[in-house]
Parts: sequence; structure tokens; C-alpha cells
Amino acid sequence: MSNYTKLFLLIVSFAVILSCEEDSKDDMKPAIDLSITDAFPVNCDTIYFGETFVLKVLFTDNVELGAFSFDIHHNFDHHSHSTEVTECNTDPDKEPVNPYVFIQDYDIPQGLTEYETNIEINIPSAENSNLFDEGDYHFFISLTDKQGWSTQKGLSIKMLHR
Amino acid sequence: MHKITVLFVLAHILIISGYSQGKYILSGLVVDENNQALPGASVQLSSGKGTVTNSEGKYVINDLDNGIYEIKVSYIGYKTHLDTIVIDGNKAYRIKMLYSPLDLQEVVVTDNYVETRKKEESLNIEIANKRYLQQNLGGSLMKTIERLPGVSTIDIGSGQSKPVIRGLGFNRIVVVENGIKHEGQQWGADHGLEIDQFAIDKLEVIKGPSSLIHGSDALGGVINVKQNSVPINNSVGGTIDLIGKTNNNLIGTSFSVYGRKNWLFADLRVTMLDYGDYKVPTDSIDIYSYKAAIHNNQLRNTAGEEKNLHFTIGIIQDDFQSKFFISNVYSKNGFFANAHGLEPRNVDTDVHDKSNRDILFPYHEVNHFKVINQSLWEMGKFRFKSDLGFQRNFRQEWSEYVSHGYMPPVFPDNLKFNADIERQFDKHIYNGNLLIRYTHNEKTAFTFGLNGSYQDNDINGRGFIIPAFEQLNMGVFLLAKYEINPINVLQLGIRYDHGKIKTESYNDWFQSPVLIGSDTTLAHLQRAYGLNRNYSNISWSVGYNYNQEKLSFKTNIGRSFRIPIAKELAANGVNYHNFSYEVGDPDLSPEISYQLDLGLEYHLKKFAVGATPFVNYFTNYIYLNPSSEFDRLYGNGNQVFYYTQSEVFRYGGELHAHYQLLKSIKLGVIGEYVYSEQVSGEKKGFTLPFSPPASAIFNIKYQKQHLGFLKNVYLSVDYRITASQTNIVPPEETTDGYQLINISLGGEISLKKQNLSISAQVQNLFNTKHFSHTSYYRLINVPEPGRNFVLNVSIPFSGKIN
Repeated sequence: MSNYTKLFLLIVSFAVILSCEEDSKDDMKPAIDLSITDAFPVNCDTIYFGETFVLKVLFTDNVELGAFSFDIHHNFDHHSHSTEVTECNTDPDKEPVNPYVFIQDYDIPQGLTEYETNIEINIPSAENSNLFDEGDYHFFISLTDKQGWSTQKGLSIKMLHR
Repeated sequence: MHKITVLFVLAHILIISGYSQGKYILSGLVVDENNQALPGASVQLSSGKGTVTNSEGKYVINDLDNGIYEIKVSYIGYKTHLDTIVIDGNKAYRIKMLYSPLDLQEVVVTDNYVETRKKEESLNIEIANKRYLQQNLGGSLMKTIERLPGVSTIDIGSGQSKPVIRGLGFNRIVVVENGIKHEGQQWGADHGLEIDQFAIDKLEVIKGPSSLIHGSDALGGVINVKQNSVPINNSVGGTIDLIGKTNNNLIGTSFSVYGRKNWLFADLRVTMLDYGDYKVPTDSIDIYSYKAAIHNNQLRNTAGEEKNLHFTIGIIQDDFQSKFFISNVYSKNGFFANAHGLEPRNVDTDVHDKSNRDILFPYHEVNHFKVINQSLWEMGKFRFKSDLGFQRNFRQEWSEYVSHGYMPPVFPDNLKFNADIERQFDKHIYNGNLLIRYTHNEKTAFTFGLNGSYQDNDINGRGFIIPAFEQLNMGVFLLAKYEINPINVLQLGIRYDHGKIKTESYNDWFQSPVLIGSDTTLAHLQRAYGLNRNYSNISWSVGYNYNQEKLSFKTNIGRSFRIPIAKELAANGVNYHNFSYEVGDPDLSPEISYQLDLGLEYHLKKFAVGATPFVNYFTNYIYLNPSSEFDRLYGNGNQVFYYTQSEVFRYGGELHAHYQLLKSIKLGVIGEYVYSEQVSGEKKGFTLPFSPPASAIFNIKYQKQHLGFLKNVYLSVDYRITASQTNIVPPEETTDGYQLINISLGGEISLKKQNLSISAQVQNLFNTKHFSHTSYYRLINVPEPGRNFVLNVSIPFSGKIN
């Protein structure tokens, strides 16, 4: 019996070793940093129609950054949460009439592990002389690195006519 | 017919020449009252010689001298057959076993069957019978059999799961029900398997390349599900199963009635399950760093229901039988309301938390209808088997209309689909198989097979992910089995397949701005172009089995393939479940995989150990590769994922051992491990998506045949250790390891002639918060279900027809 017990224990320990095996690999996602000074927009910021704002965000990665995109969508039904901890004051839910949509993507110069955006974006106030809807919008930033890892950040913002 | 006659004559000449040895052979068939073959029955002669019937119920005993022998044939659940026979030449002796009235439970599958099947199959195989399924009952079929070595699952909530064999899932394994390949929308991570686990009598998991028999897709293996019980003659009866679970407050029943008068039998089963939101051991879920609070530990809106109907009618005669299986499997399941796919969503908690049993948006609804005819005809040395099948899989994914990208803010009312249907898939499938088995002599047998299938797929809804398509597949194979002697068996086979796929073009139902020169115009963008592609492939397999009393060894090497699916060829759209823009590649080749399998088993009376390692190489594994780009042409700003192919090397295996410590106490261990690496392409060095982590189960089981008024009492404790998964590929997250304790206990109570059986389980005894790397909800950090008490009571009833 003792021989079998030994063999059994050997197999058990083999199974334990197998189930504990680990492997190290570059699994770092790129990061979107909104804590830099002058970062814009941050959660609950306001963007005005008919004006220009500067997108200021710091992107970092351990190997090489890829590209980024951002889009602005209405959030009148509050379908999307921001990924930030702070909650903003939101307007009551409403039906969209002429909501503003912005979608754009940008390349990051090759070989960078750190990149601070400094992009001027002009927001029109109307389309075919119809004013865009004011209210709660969702500002969504998406960042990739060369390997295809990605990070998203969703911000709640207000868009208003001044 | 002429050729067959010639073959017959030839075969007989060969057999006669083979027999001129001096000593005699006793051979024959063991069948039950329905003339169904009984594999694994024990056949013993008074001289001490004996054997076990093979998977077709056949046995051969060689080297017999002249004389009078007593023959004893036994099989659990049947009366032992005793007779005296005279051997004065080669003799054929057919044995009909009578059902033992002591055990009127529908199905009896003995360990003998498992052993025989394992000895004959050169690939590694796991078998589960009805009792196993009852004792391990999980939220869905795959969850129930997850404990089997090499099997894992991709779970979608508490009531749906997808099969994975040794790290391969989706379209890389085949599920066969009653001889026909089950076709749903297996490509989707959130699409569960549409099979009613209560309607299964027996299930086999074949691990390894199985294209030879099953054609395209069977690269990783096959899950073969059978409803093969036939009632005993002139009887009526049935079973009532009552099921309850505490974690998702499931209540359910599966009710069956059967009857048989002479050669005609029928069987009807109804399964109804209804469950609420399942509980997780946490009070908030961290979705992309947003903390969504959850109410009463309940994962909001994950309730569901299942309504299944099965009807079987068949005729049974000595050398002919034919069965029709008609079934409709319906399920409706809610998705976690705070995240649709990966998108964090605001929910009205007043509405959502009012009831934990209602199903609100988003949810999916699937209806799978099937008609299968399976016929078997035996004619001397020939055995013809045909399977014909029709299936319709109708799937709808519902969610509230939200304008994404350039979709209009208000849904227009002039469209042909409901605003809230995100995707709809309507698939019609026609299958046909013909198998002809020719037993040349007791050593050599040939199987010739012909498979054909046609499917037609329609799509609808506001989201586009795959185009409508039609697909035609034809395959032909030949398999030879040669028994060098009862210890050494050789099998080889070859197959040719031809497949044709035709995809349709698709234009967006909404307009997007397109820049032409310096002008921006609005256009209905074309997402998919019509494609017409043909594929052909040759697969093969060579296997060898060595079976000694204590030691058995098997090996198999095979080439399998998979025709690219419509999504891989023609996807071109945003998958809102993943924030990804998925792009197909029309030039993909069929996936080819070579695999070497070994199986080693050593068993003594009290102790057994087995190992089943494998090595696998894909010349071109097709996967969705995330790039660093964002889609520009279609203006949605999502990360672009391209279907790409790369070489992949995989290895791994399973290990199991058990030791009978005392008469009623058994210790056991099961371990499994898979390693995958892409050895070429853009993700060289990375693993494959959905790679299960290594895991081990340590088990102690107490079993007693009689304990007071109880029969077949068992108590089993599983200690499960799952390693962390740090070997990942974008866009996955690493997952920590965990340890769980699961308990199952039960037994039978004799009520007159019936055995009422009770099986109970406690899953996740300590309510441990843990994550499953392969769960659909893993990416949004939803933990696995908390503690769950499961109770299943099975009440059989029966009577006689005069």
C-alpha cells in the first residue's frame, strides 16, 4: 500500500506544480492620464458650441503607443456612464432633436512611449443653420498601443451655447 | 447490388481460409430485448476464457477445443444469461439479455461500456451517463460536464455556456446530437449551446482531431450527445425530475413519458426552467473603473427561462430500426443590465431591481427546432446507418435603440425591423449522413461514410456583424480497422471534403458622411461585398491501441481542418459588445491542424493512473487580431480588429489517478493543462484568446450500496484549484487563480419497484469571490456565481401494457 500511496502523492504534487505554473509576458495596456496640469476635458467639464478647445491628455505605454480616437455623443437618456468616480450634475432626460456628433481618430508619431496631445478642435454651433442640442454629452477617448492593447475612458461633459 | 454479392462471396472465401487453424472460434452478438447491441457485456466460459463485447455488442473467443462449455453472460441491469453450448466447430451464438425487473430506471450505462469504448477509440475519450449528469447538474449542459478532464466552458451568465475542449471552442469543436451536427451561431462568445441537458442519455467527449468522421470544424474534438434509450417491450412509464437551485432561485421540471407496444415506441419529454438573477459574492462591479453598485448581490437582469420539448417515435425490428427525434429548444436570457457587451450603462435601478425574475433589455432569445431521422439496417456483414436532419436556429438579440456612430438619433419608422432588435440570425440547415460498415472478418472492418450539409443564413436588425450566407459541404471517408490480435488494434482513415460558401453584400440602413475629394456627402456605406468561395481538403487519421489487462496505451495522429466561417471572411462592422471594428479577410485558407495524441493508463484493483498528453500544430489558426488602428472609413472611431492567420503550437494534457483507500472511500485527482503559442504573425509569442488556465481537482468520495433504507449512497467532495492565467493576448485581462470546494451527495430510495433518486450539491461552499478567465463577463469584471445549493429529485414510474 505504501508504494501506491507514494505514487499517488507524487501524482498529486505533479498536479499541484502544473496548476501553479506561471508565465511572464508584456501585458501592459497603454494609459490615458488626465491628471496632468491643464488636462482638458476632464469629467464634468463644459465645451461650448461655436468655439475652439484644446484637447490636452497624456498618453503613456511601456513599449510603443499606437493611435487614439475620441468621439462626442449625446447622453440625453444617460445611457452611458463616465468611467470616472465623480458624478456630474445631469439635466433631466430628453429626446434628441439635433444632437452633435464628433468622431475622429489620430495617429501617434512612431516610437513614442509618451505623448501629450495638443489638438485644437473647433466645434460648430449649427448644422444647416439648425442649432445643435445643448445638454449632457459623453466624451469617449480610446487609446491603443502598437501591439493592439487598448484603453478607454468615458467622460461626462456638458455642451452649451454661449 | 451485384458488386455487393461479389464482395460477399469474396469475404466468405477469405473468412473460410482464415479459419483453417484446428482450434475453434465462438463469436456472436449480445443484444437486449429490443435487439439493441449491448456493448461492454461480459461473456465467460466455464473453461475460464472470456471477453467483453465491443461497441457493436460483438464478441469473439478464440482457440477453443472440442467440448461442452457453460456460458455466462452478464450485464448490469439485465438478468444473467446462463446456457450450455457444444463446441465442435466454429460457432456463432447470439444472446438476448432480459431486462432485470429490479432496475426499471430508463437507462443503464455501466462502467464496462466506458472501458470498452475507451479501449476501442484511439483518441482520448470521456463518457458521462445520465447518472453523472444528474449528480453534477449545472446551469447548462457544458457546466454540468466541466469537471471532465480537458473540458472547460465559456459561460454567459448562469444558464448558458459554450463548450471548450483543451482550449479550443467556437467553430473548432463539433457538437453532435443523435448523429447530426448541431448548428447554431457557435461563433459568438455570448451564444450558448442550445441543447436540453435533461434529454440526454449518454454523452461522449472525444478529445482530438475528428475531421475524419465529422468533417470541417472537428479540429479540437467532438461532443457526442445521444438519446438512445428504448423502452422495454409492452411497457409504459416515465420520469418526473424536479430541480431547484438557490443561487439564481431556479425552479424547474423535466417530465418524460414513454411507451412501447411490440415494435413501436414513443417518448415525450417536456423541460421547463425558470430562474432569477444570479448572485455574486460582491456588492459592486468594476466596469472599466466605473463601480456599478448591485442590489442584494444580484447581477441585475440575468434572469432567464428555458422551455424544451422532445418527441421521439421509432420502430424496432430484428435487423432494422428507425427513429425520429423532433425537438424544440427555446431560451430567453437577460444580459447584465449595467453593461451591454462592454459598454457601461446607466440603469434605472427602480425598474431593474423591482423584480429579480423579470427579463428586461438587453436580452437574447433563441429557438432551435430539429427533426432527425436515424435508421439502422443490418444485412449480414453489412450495417447501413443513415442520419437525416433539418434544423432551424432563430436568434434575436434585443436591446434599447441607442444611436452609435452615424445612426440617426431617432429611429426612423420606415424600416423593416424593430428599432430594438440589435441582431437577428435565422439559419436553416439540412444534413445527411450515410455510413456503411462492412465487417470483413473478426479482425478487419471497413466503414465508408458520406456526409452532406446545406445551410442558409439570413440576418436582420440594426447592427451588422456577419453577412447573410449560404454554405454547402460534402465529404466522403473510408475508415479501416484491423485487429492484429485482441491486444493490438490499428485504425486508419482518409477523407475528402469539398465546401462552398456564398456571402451576400450588405449596406448600412443609415447614412454616414463620406469625403469625396473635398466634398462631404452622405451615403449608405457598403459593409460587405458578395463572395463566392470553394474549399477542398484531405484529412486523415492513424491510430493504434494496445490493451493489456493492467496497462493500456493508445496513440493517434491526425490532420483536421475547418472551412473559414462567414464572419471570418466577410465581417466588416462594429461589434458593440467589444468596442471593436471587425474586418474579415476573404482570402483566408481553411484552417489545418495536425495533432498527436497519446493515452496511457495503468490500473490495478485499488489504484489507477492515466495520462493523456497531446501536441498540436496549426499551419494557420484564424483569429481576430486587434491592431493599433481606429476605423477611419466608416467613421465610428473604434479599434480595428483584423481576421488574420498564424501558425500556432499547442501542447498539454490531462492527468488522473484514483486510489481506493477503504472499501467505501476513494481518493482521486484530475489535472489539466494547455499551453498555446502563436509562432508566427503579428502576435508571435502570444497565446490564443480564451485559453483556460491550468486546474486540478482533488476528490474524496464515499460510496455505499446500502445504507439503512437508502441505496447507492454517495458523498463526494471536490477541492478545485485553478491557476491564475497570466498568459494572455489583447484585449484580455489577466485572471487570478482561485480555490473552491464543491460537495455533492445523494442516493436512492426504493419505492415498490422504483428507485426514487435524490442528488444534491453545494457549489462554491465558501461563497468565494473568483473570476473565470473564459467567462463572457470576464472583461467587465463580473465574478462567478456565489454559493449555490442544487437539488434534483428524479421520480420514475412505470407499468405494463397487455
